Amino acid sequence: MIRAQRTPSPADAGRRVYRLLIVDDSNIVRRRIERSQHFEDLQVVGTAGNGLDALEVFAATDPDVVTMDLTMPRMDGIECIGRMVELKPSVRILVISALADKATAVEAMERGANGFLNKPFSDRQLNEAIAELMRGA
Amino acid sequence: MHRSRSFGRAPLLTVGVGLALALSLGVVLLAGFRLATELNGSVVALQTASSLQTYPADISREIDTLRERLEVRTYAGRALDDLRGTTTRLDDGLADLARASAADPVALRAARDSWARFHRELDPVLAFSGQPYRDSDTAGSVLSTAGRAHFMHVRRAQLYAARHAQALREELGKVVDGLRSSASTAALRLRGLLLGGVLAALMLALLAVHLQIAKGREERSAREAQERTRDILRTVREGFFLLDSGHRIGPVWSDALRRMFGREDFAGLSFQDLLQDLVPPATLATALKYVNLLWGDRAHENLMKSINPLAQLEITTESERGGKETRYLQFDFHRVMGPKGVQHVLCAVGDITSSVLLARELQDSQSHASAQLDLLIGLTRTDPLQLGSFLDTADAGLRLVNAIMKEPARGDGEFRRKIDGLMRELHSLKGEAAALELTSVAERLHALEGLVEACASKAELSGADFLPVVLKLDELLAHLQGVKEIAGRLMLTREPQPLGESGSIGAALESLAAQLSREHGKPIRLELAGLAQVPAAYARTVKDCLIQLLRNAAVHGIEPTDQRAARGKNGTGLISAKFAATPNGYELVFEDDGAGIAADTLKRAAVRRQLISEEEAAAMDTRAAMALMFRPGLSTADGVSMDAGRGVGMDVVARGLQSIGGRIGVATHPGRFTRFRITLPAADRATGAVA
Repeated sequence: MIRAQRTPSPADAGRRVYRLLIVDDSNIVRRRIERSQHFEDLQVVGTAGNGLDALEVFAATDPDVVTMDLTMPRMDGIECIGRMVELKPSVRILVISALADKATAVEAMERGANGFLNKPFSDRQLNEAIAELMRGA
Repeated sequence: MHRSRSFGRAPLLTVGVGLALALSLGVVLLAGFRLATELNGSVVALQTASSLQTYPADISREIDTLRERLEVRTYAGRALDDLRGTTTRLDDGLADLARASAADPVALRAARDSWARFHRELDPVLAFSGQPYRDSDTAGSVLSTAGRAHFMHVRRAQLYAARHAQALREELGKVVDGLRSSASTAALRLRGLLLGGVLAALMLALLAVHLQIAKGREERSAREAQERTRDILRTVREGFFLLDSGHRIGPVWSDALRRMFGREDFAGLSFQDLLQDLVPPATLATALKYVNLLWGDRAHENLMKSINPLAQLEITTESERGGKETRYLQFDFHRVMGPKGVQHVLCAVGDITSSVLLARELQDSQSHASAQLDLLIGLTRTDPLQLGSFLDTADAGLRLVNAIMKEPARGDGEFRRKIDGLMRELHSLKGEAAALELTSVAERLHALEGLVEACASKAELSGADFLPVVLKLDELLAHLQGVKEIAGRLMLTREPQPLGESGSIGAALESLAAQLSREHGKPIRLELAGLAQVPAAYARTVKDCLIQLLRNAAVHGIEPTDQRAARGKNGTGLISAKFAATPNGYELVFEDDGAGIAADTLKRAAVRRQLISEEEAAAMDTRAAMALMFRPGLSTADGVSMDAGRGVGMDVVARGLQSIGGRIGVATHPGRFTRFRITLPAADRATGAVA
């Protein structure tokens, strides 16, 4: 589940590695997101299938970047975003959701999300969205 | 941009030059003041020096006087006092000159040295006190010892004065010359300075004038720029305004807003108040949250644009004609950055109603095109005769619907009756369309039915409630016209049906009878005979005619089962169609054992439709009354179909038969049967018939 990290070379010494947490109730989507990124400075530090688990993993792994589903059991994404931002205001969150209405997007942004990606998405769209997120992190 | 930069530098330069000019004017004035003071000192000194010039001569004369007095032994005290006074004044005068320092120091020192030497010679004279004379009895008054010494001193001083008084006078003259020349130099300088001062003042005045002109020009161009901005804001078709951090609209906004929102009080209005009455509360809440997000730096412009909840906002406003009007507005937000982050949010509002409607129209026409294609495919599978028959029926049916709609109605009850009639007609047409798999027609009929149902569910009805029905009906008629055209083209391209072939008419009637029976919940038995003998030339007409008659008989002729039972009839309605050759041609008898047609009902309807007058109706016998049913005006009359239970399109049937030289007659007995007897001439192409 966690991608192997490259052995740090001297050139990498000053380079920051971003820690990514993937939250989605579908393990197909989780795996899809895990596999699709090709950033050498991005490391998946955890995955979660609902909001409550996500908070636990969040506290344990201290990620810089999070991809967040909205419709999930136990705790939905909107609430989860709010909690995460409370815990770590500098975290950057990309909402990946099939809910396409703008009210939801605005709500998520208001809670503290930094990006919005509609399902279904292409690898390219995902990579662009994550790259955009990392630029701000 | 360029303009403001050039204007930004000019005032700085002007202020600098102005300051420099004022400063130099100040310096000139100060220097002038000093020069004037100096000049004043020089003039005073010059006066002093000029008066001193006479003193050496005065002193010489006074010494002379003193000596004369001493020689004649008269009183010399006064002469000595004069000498003393003059000496003191010369001392003081020279001391004043030295203090005033206006005089040429070299000349002054020479004069003072010269005077000092002079003074030294005078000192013993001036120092004398006491009596210079002594009285002797022999010689009278003689000089005393002190007097002799005094006299000696006076003579020496006289000698010195005779030799040096002139020199001292010249020395003092030099001082005077020096003072005069310095005074005139000072005066010259003062003149120069004054000239400079006047020049500086003149330049300051010029500068002031220039500044005034520049200011005027700047104000004019600012005014022009303002006017241009106003022109832009007045002419531009988009609504523009700036939102401040308190989400309030700024004082500058474009006139288009007035048209879009129908109000004037934008300046200072909050964004919430702008939208309050126009959008549902949920949309308003989202919009306010969104605008709030614009002030943060959480998301970049593109992302914010993509989640803009006001990109296509549907609003309802009062139209100019008084009614409600739905329009679509597009809000675009742009952050205006200042030195401390977002300063304003520029909001551009566009009325995109026409493009939204156009997009819809495009979508409609796309779905219309695909429906056309579906229809085309459907039509190729449909039996052309059945299709033709349906189209005629539908046409007639809808004309009836139209007539029902046009029928004036006043009370609620009349409207309800109208609705019932419409529902029945539409429902039956829908069923037929569905049976023929004419989905596009069936869907439209269904939608129309829905509209009528919506009318029915209203508590109170008025003519205006039927307006949407009329519109939809027009659309349906246009669609049917399209179907007809396509069907027409299809018929042309298709191989002619093997006419008269057994089963083709019969099968169509059987299937229609089964369908009508199902739809109307009436058991029907159809008896057919001799239809295989229909000559090819008549096949089409006969089939259309039979479909129409069957439809009318099944829908309107055959009574519902309970009614039949009450009349002691068999529960299953019997409809028969028998075709047979006769010596002169052919005969087709179509009969149903239904409710029959009452002549009076036909007459009443014809009177109501103003086809005949009351008198004509009264004079009409049953036979003539029956003929009314083939009159075009009557066949679409609601009265006929609703009151007498007889169907539509009889005129269509009659016309079709006439076109091939046929005739139609009707016999009926109310409550028992209706029988149509159709005679056709011998066909030229009767060879196609199967014997």
